Amino acid sequence: MTFKELVKTVFLLEIFKGMALTLRTMFRRPVTIQYPTQKKPVMPGFRGLHALTRDPPQTGDARCVGCGLCAAICPSRCIHIYTADSEEHKKIVERYEIDVLRCLFCGLCVEACPYAAILLTEHYEYSGYTREEFYMTKEKLLKNYDLYMGAEKSMAYFSKFWHPLRGDFGTPKKQVVFKGRKEE
Amino acid sequence: MTRILETLFFPGSFDVFIFFGTVIVKVLVIIGVGMLHVAYATYFERKVIGHMQMRLGPMRVGPHGLLQPFADGIKLFFKEDIIPAEADKPVFFGAPVISLLGALSALAVIPFSENIAVSNINISLLFVFAASALGAYGIIMAGWSSNSKYSFLGGLRSASQIISYEVAMGLSLVGVMMLAGSLNLVEIVKAQERYPLGAFLFPQIIGFFIFIVSAIAETNRAPFDLPEAESELVAGYFVEYSGIRFALFFLAEYMGMIVMSSIATICFLGGWNGPFRIPYIPFAWFALKVYCILFLYYWVRASLPRYRYDHLMGVGWKVLIPLALVNIVITGIVKMLL
Repeated sequence: MTFKELVKTVFLLEIFKGMALTLRTMFRRPVTIQYPTQKKPVMPGFRGLHALTRDPPQTGDARCVGCGLCAAICPSRCIHIYTADSEEHKKIVERYEIDVLRCLFCGLCVEACPYAAILLTEHYEYSGYTREEFYMTKEKLLKNYDLYMGAEKSMAYFSKFWHPLRGDFGTPKKQVVFKGRKEE
Repeated sequence: MTRILETLFFPGSFDVFIFFGTVIVKVLVIIGVGMLHVAYATYFERKVIGHMQMRLGPMRVGPHGLLQPFADGIKLFFKEDIIPAEADKPVFFGAPVISLLGALSALAVIPFSENIAVSNINISLLFVFAASALGAYGIIMAGWSSNSKYSFLGGLRSASQIISYEVAMGLSLVGVMMLAGSLNLVEIVKAQERYPLGAFLFPQIIGFFIFIVSAIAETNRAPFDLPEAESELVAGYFVEYSGIRFALFFLAEYMGMIVMSSIATICFLGGWNGPFRIPYIPFAWFALKVYCILFLYYWVRASLPRYRYDHLMGVGWKVLIPLALVNIVITGIVKMLL
């Protein structure tokens, strides 16, 4: 043991160094955010509770046409769509249901939708006592849109995070495909 | 005894009643103030450790969480009192009481100022040792009677730890006794007045170091909190306790810390003497010094990881006790020469 090491051991220098660090930390700003009163700002593109876009200029109903692309791409199979024939032989969406407790919030349904009908709001503070409260029906999803999104916010949201808005729903030109791209 | 009998059979002399009345009032006041200090010691600890970890600590109950100790107290008081079916019931009930008893009776002889003490006896330092060692019985009884492996291990660890560190602690104070020439805590404080800074801190710096280390071990605090090592023993000797019985152990632990800090203040830091007199509050310096040592407790807890058990025993027997003996010899030689 060298003299330096001896001094280190006898006078507990390492321990005092550690204690100096904790003392210094004590006078630094705490990183705590006092949650219910203070909230972290929600980052753009946050994937929270689901909503169905309401289409006010035309019907005020959901923009969804019932194509079933979102249900098809959903990895956890939590979107259930039931369509029916209307009297004018138009396809109508009878039921549109999302089991939120099974959803993994990947956002693939938003990207898949060709009509910007489904979106994920910035709302994340939902809780309940039963599973039924998290089984979203079409009415609940439309209400979510009114509560947490609105027309203005949803426009910004779709312009950033909804890729089909480019108007080009086909295979990207750069992508290698075997069949070849169908030109319009 | 004869005086009591005389008073009972010859009414007219009320001296005994007045005497007992004042003692009871004193005891109640000191227990009340002590309990309040325990309550806010927990709050202070959570705040200090919180800020040392860049957190805030309690913030919800009252402004900056100031009423948190009362909320905790009410919660503990109304919680269900669970008694394990296989527990040894009388011992199980007795353990927390004995634990608290040790800590509280030590408080009886501590002088907070020259004239403020429940009793000023000539062997007060020995009495404090005896009383604080009594707490070990509570811990062993709790560990045994709970009939659970975790509490049993915690109790065993605590027993061996307290016994080994009690020796080092006693030896560390021998230097103080030699310099003061008395076991009376008031005399010890008075003897310090002619030393630099009015304290035995510099002549007895080794003793102070040993005392602080063994006080932390004696009160089962981090980094020597092996009896209640959360990561291995869940909570140690009081795993099976809940509600108000758990609260009694908690009170005993914090009261023990306050008693140890008071002894350190009296024996090494000059008690109630300060650089200048604070009018009307004779115990102001005493309280300030006690708070500083309590802060040291929390500071050490926030900084250091827990010791390994064989290291703990090694430090106690192979480092602190020989060091304390060397300290005694040096003090003796210096005292003889001067």
